[in-house]
Amino acid sequence: MKTLPAGYLPLILGVIILGIPACSKKAVRSGGDSQALQEEMARGEMAKGGATKEGTNSSFPDTSFSGREDSNSLRGLDRNPSEERLGGNAANAGTPGGGHTNALIAKADSGAAARQLAEIRAEQVASVAAGLRDVFFTYDSFSITDEGRHALSGNAEWARSNSYAQLKIEGHCDERGTSAYNLVLGEKRAKAVRNYLVELGMAPTHLSVVSYGKERPFCTEHTESCYSQNRRGHLVVKTGK
Amino acid sequence: MTFRAVVFVSLCVSIGAAWIIESGAADVFLEATRPDFRKIPLGIAGIENMSGSESPEGRVKLGTRIEDVLKADVRRSLVFALVDLPSLGIKVSHLGVEPDASFKQAAENGVSVIVWGKAGIKSGSKDADLSMDGYVYDVGSNEIVGGKRYIGSTSVARLMAHRFADELVFRYTGEPGIARTKIAYVSELGTARELFVMDYDGYDPRQLTADGFLNLMPRWSPDRRFLVFTTYRNRNTQDIDMIELATGKRWTLVAQGGLNITPVLSPDGNSLAYASSHEGNAELYRLDTHTKAVKRLTTHAAGDLSPSWSPSGRELAFTSDRSGGPQIFLMSADGSNVRRLTFDGDYNAAPAWSPRGNWIAYVCRTPKKEYKLCVITPDGQKHLQLTTGLGVDDSPSWSPDGRHLVFSSTVDGKSQIYMINVDGKDLERITFTGTHNSAPSWSPAS
Repeated sequence: MKTLPAGYLPLILGVIILGIPACSKKAVRSGGDSQALQEEMARGEMAKGGATKEGTNSSFPDTSFSGREDSNSLRGLDRNPSEERLGGNAANAGTPGGGHTNALIAKADSGAAARQLAEIRAEQVASVAAGLRDVFFTYDSFSITDEGRHALSGNAEWARSNSYAQLKIEGHCDERGTSAYNLVLGEKRAKAVRNYLVELGMAPTHLSVVSYGKERPFCTEHTESCYSQNRRGHLVVKTGK
Repeated sequence: MTFRAVVFVSLCVSIGAAWIIESGAADVFLEATRPDFRKIPLGIAGIENMSGSESPEGRVKLGTRIEDVLKADVRRSLVFALVDLPSLGIKVSHLGVEPDASFKQAAENGVSVIVWGKAGIKSGSKDADLSMDGYVYDVGSNEIVGGKRYIGSTSVARLMAHRFADELVFRYTGEPGIARTKIAYVSELGTARELFVMDYDGYDPRQLTADGFLNLMPRWSPDRRFLVFTTYRNRNTQDIDMIELATGKRWTLVAQGGLNITPVLSPDGNSLAYASSHEGNAELYRLDTHTKAVKRLTTHAAGDLSPSWSPSGRELAFTSDRSGGPQIFLMSADGSNVRRLTFDGDYNAAPAWSPRGNWIAYVCRTPKKEYKLCVITPDGQKHLQLTTGLGVDDSPSWSPDGRHLVFSSTVDGKSQIYMINVDGKDLERITFTGTHNSAPSWSPAS
């Protein structure tokens, strides 16, 4: 456990302030519009959850918390303890002392995983057949390299002769950094790819972006060669919804 | 930090626990994170194996199993110091409900509390119920201050120990204890990541979702009935969902397009803070859970994410890369008064405000480019690095007593879940199976 002396703070502050101009290009808005996604939403995804046009649900249970006691609360030690029945599984869910957090469900729709896998495979097959090429990024960056531009030119070429195709651009990151911040970085990468494809003449309505952050790695070793595989904009031909 | 009716443990011990009994234990507030706090020496004289205590699930007898769980809970409470009675030459045998002669010897050795009990299958029970009795002797008041009698199936043997441990903590601090708390987390199944919930010590994992794709970053509702989390609807869009633990029922709370991540309910449950990029880049929003009105909290060309409520619900800590790399910022819950909190290093993210309010935990990138856990006071005056070494640490979440953090780390290769004390001691791995366990969220206490 280490503590930095407070005296370092002004120095650190100074270094960071000096460093800001050099880093500020990172703060440039990455891909302003999200039209494609919004249009996709409008096609009815929201209706499934009963969501309103504003994108938030109009009815879900009350989550307010007044701090009141529940059946799980402690009852204190007794000089002459009476029996306290404890329930710990779904069968005992209604028993006093059981309480809701003990009564967890098991598995839901077990066919969902198989359906997802089949759809992912169909997308993979279509993408391989199209010869789509991915774009790779350097550490912490969402700038498209010369190699990346070359790959995207080829992809745009394919798209011109397959004008009905819908492309999905997945943003991926390596395992370094937090899960949440990598989702933001992944979106920046996907949008950078999308914006370049639009520059090459592709219609924004044929492109959608999604960020998977570091949650769907292509490679799971803790090595730079693996990390560089995972920092990518992955292009997929959308086959389903 | 709260200072209501602070009672030092030394006071309780020397003047006598009788004061606690007379004034009502629930009124006593004990701040075990204070530097002058001293743990209460507690000895467990054994949970005797009664007839029928052969465990149906294993070789270890039920009483012994309960005793082992109780010892671990007492140690993790950080309220008590677990004293090994046999090593002091103290042998307690065949305890009834009367103080034993050996208690005097224990008192002379500085032991303040002695706990014992028995467990077995209840005689005459047609359901073959497990019964556990526990008793507490307090040296200060020189009496058995009380006990508990639990009945249930053998599958709740661990819960009996957890509940008894929490009663002990409640008796001596007025706080409910953490032994019955749960940890929600994400676990990999094939290529999918699903939500799970386990006991705070890593036992009894239960799968909550089976969507076959990605469910990320669960957070508890303050009443422990729900989790809010990010789900990928048909793999292509991110929504914020809520699931009810008791039933598995789900609702979509936010479906706006773009990123919709890091949802978290306010301590009063009346607001959901989250990050969404549906208006361009990641910004913070607040959904009123009653009126369903959405208020945008941040407006900046850089990314804002990972909101964490202060215990009062008046402020939010969050991650923003508005000054280059990600840093921790604070703001009022209405989005005003934004100010930067962290200045050390070029990558600080995933803030988690302690339920006691005195610390904000976060992931800090060290000069060696390792992602470790740090804590900082909300005034920025003091900060500490809690973990060291290899591996990417992520997603710190506080125990409801503010004395522990749970987090994920790749220190052992695959991402697994660990807990650590706020002083950086007692690092403990709590998940051991699977290819990937991450994004832990510690439940509130009950």
